Amino acid sequence: MTFLAPAFLFASVAVAAGIVALHFIVTRQPRSSILPTARFVPDTPATTIAPARRPSDLLVMTLRVLTVLAAGTGMAKPVLRPARQPNARVVLVDVSRSVRDSTAIRDSARAVYRKGDGVVVFDSGARVVAGSVSDSIAHFSPTSRRGNLSGAIIAALRAGSGLRDRADSLELVIISPFAKEEMDAATDSIRRLWRGRARLVHAGASNSTAREIADGKITLSAEPDDPLGITAALGPRAEVRAFIDRAPLRGASSRDTVPGSTVAEGVLIDWPRTARPRGAVSRSAVDTIGGIKAGDARVIAPFERRWIFPVDSLRGADVIARWSDGEPAAIERANEPGCSRSVAIPVASAGDLAIRHDFVKLFAVISRPCAQITAVIPADPAAVARLVGNGGRASRETFQPPTDTRSTLASWLLALAIATAIAEIFARRGAREPNAAVIKSSPRAAQAA
Amino acid sequence: MREADANPDDTYYDFAALLDAVRGIRWPARSIVRGGIPGGHTSRVWGSSAEFSEYRPYRQGDDLRRIDWKLFARSDRAYIRLSNDRSILPTMIVVDASASMAFPISTNGKWRLAAQLGVALAAVARNGGDPVGLALAGGRKPELIAPRTRRSVIQEIIRAISATQPAGSAPLAPSISIAAQSVGRLVIVSDFLGDATEILSVASRFVVAGREVHAVHVVAAEEIDPPREASMVTDPEAPGTRRALIGETRDGYVAAFAAWRDGLAHEFSDAGLAYSAAIVGDETPEHLIRRLTAPRGAAAIA
Repeated sequence: MTFLAPAFLFASVAVAAGIVALHFIVTRQPRSSILPTARFVPDTPATTIAPARRPSDLLVMTLRVLTVLAAGTGMAKPVLRPARQPNARVVLVDVSRSVRDSTAIRDSARAVYRKGDGVVVFDSGARVVAGSVSDSIAHFSPTSRRGNLSGAIIAALRAGSGLRDRADSLELVIISPFAKEEMDAATDSIRRLWRGRARLVHAGASNSTAREIADGKITLSAEPDDPLGITAALGPRAEVRAFIDRAPLRGASSRDTVPGSTVAEGVLIDWPRTARPRGAVSRSAVDTIGGIKAGDARVIAPFERRWIFPVDSLRGADVIARWSDGEPAAIERANEPGCSRSVAIPVASAGDLAIRHDFVKLFAVISRPCAQITAVIPADPAAVARLVGNGGRASRETFQPPTDTRSTLASWLLALAIATAIAEIFARRGAREPNAAVIKSSPRAAQAA
Repeated sequence: MREADANPDDTYYDFAALLDAVRGIRWPARSIVRGGIPGGHTSRVWGSSAEFSEYRPYRQGDDLRRIDWKLFARSDRAYIRLSNDRSILPTMIVVDASASMAFPISTNGKWRLAAQLGVALAAVARNGGDPVGLALAGGRKPELIAPRTRRSVIQEIIRAISATQPAGSAPLAPSISIAAQSVGRLVIVSDFLGDATEILSVASRFVVAGREVHAVHVVAAEEIDPPREASMVTDPEAPGTRRALIGETRDGYVAAFAAWRDGLAHEFSDAGLAYSAAIVGDETPEHLIRRLTAPRGAAAIA
């Protein structure tokens, strides 16, 4: 057993010792005697304090000590620690959109998992699997969200703190296809916080990404004076077949106006020059915003906002660009095997926005391959190798003790303290009554004497 | 010790020794007494006793038998022979028998001294030919022995005192009023811890009426200088009065009690009473009796 706040325990022991000491110090009135001229003595209360060989009111003292110790122990939050095993694992299971073969993920997780291990599933977020882990593994399935290895490793560190009292050393196991989009600039530094080697299990990857990325081409359906044409010309080579529709026909889908081979496995971008983008509605009042961000691209310029994406239109879609106030500016919706995007970013004919480097970069992000394609792009082998790390298993001392451990005994001990406190009240009353009788009878006895 | 023995029969021996010691003491009246039954005290009535005082010319209405015929024969003038008359002084001893007199508890010193003073003063008065009586007041069982001249009255007084144990807290003043109805000398032996103000009021009326009132204030040495050991003291006549007698309160008590005694002495003296303090163990009963019965001038010198 250990205590989360042992100071309370020490304090309660000190208080209990004080209570016992006080019970050995008896406060009583001086001996009684007769004095006919007692009326001339100034009327002041008086008691004398004297040490006693035996504690007074043994029952009351016991209840008081019990109350203090129970309350102090309860506030010290005792926790029963389980026996430690030599080693345990923290298993990170990838269930993001990068996973194409969920069966492989489940099989790998089932093969790695041992009783006592911690399992963390992650996509854009991460959560520790509680309860019956084996049953949970059977229901792992990929989500449509982007994976985030950095957040997953942080969750693994927290899980490691929870396991530090149950194992001498901890091993990190990551089951993932290790897609490029799952790693970010912070992944390496966060990985180093786990001071030990990690075991990487490659599972759930797809084999059909290289061909789609290889033959990219952007087709722009726009008027000749459309500034976006200049932007497209200035941009890098396309990684995917993309069709940008700048003037969709009223009442007809953009997909109907383009060749099927162009968009079947590519990107259909609905980016009207002046009309309403697909899924967007008119704003109640046109306003101006000063910037936009999409991926790594940021553009600082005045934009006139005329459209807004309502909440319903975001269901099942990913936001690929946001205004500087966080409002969606462009969304992507998956259409197997390609995807369609709706962009509500106005491109002014006047000015140099279309030829600015940052806007060209933004255009490249918006015309990039679909998420389900980029999601399976494997990460750089060197970056994956850095995830393995050095050394052996991480020692338990390298993890901070958990601060959110709950003590189940604390509430029972506090309840015991309340019960003994109530019992002490009754015991104290019972102890006072005989003394009162003695005091009442003493004047008569004195008079009789 | 015989004094500590509570057997009433044995107390006769104690009182016998005291009575023997005070046998020769005389207790003259502090002033001229009223006329009446011939006795040992100078009376304000001019009588016809053998103790010649002066002659007065005969006036119409005088008794012819009081004319000094021999002087008439020599001077051919009629004179009346006057002489000082002497009268008795009925004396009532009032002894306080309240619970506060049973102190200290181990020796009953205040009560024993009060009893000795009562018996001895009665004996002195009786030896002077005065009728003497006793009133035991303030206790649970008041007792009254009317003033008598016969010799056995002293034994009655001793028997009554010996059979009494001080207890209770009844007021003293009503008993004094009743007991001192027709006496010329009243002696109050008490600690005056009860109704001192009422006693003073009653006694003052007797003094104004020309009677002689003695107040003997019995005080125990333990009351003047209580033990220094801390204790909760209780008034036996008022059990509800419980006070802590410790350090600073003891000093306050000593000062307050001394001031009260001084004030009482002044009030009694100013009212015309003969006030005397009798501290237990401070003087022998015989010495106290001699001091109490001394004439006014001698008492002042003492």
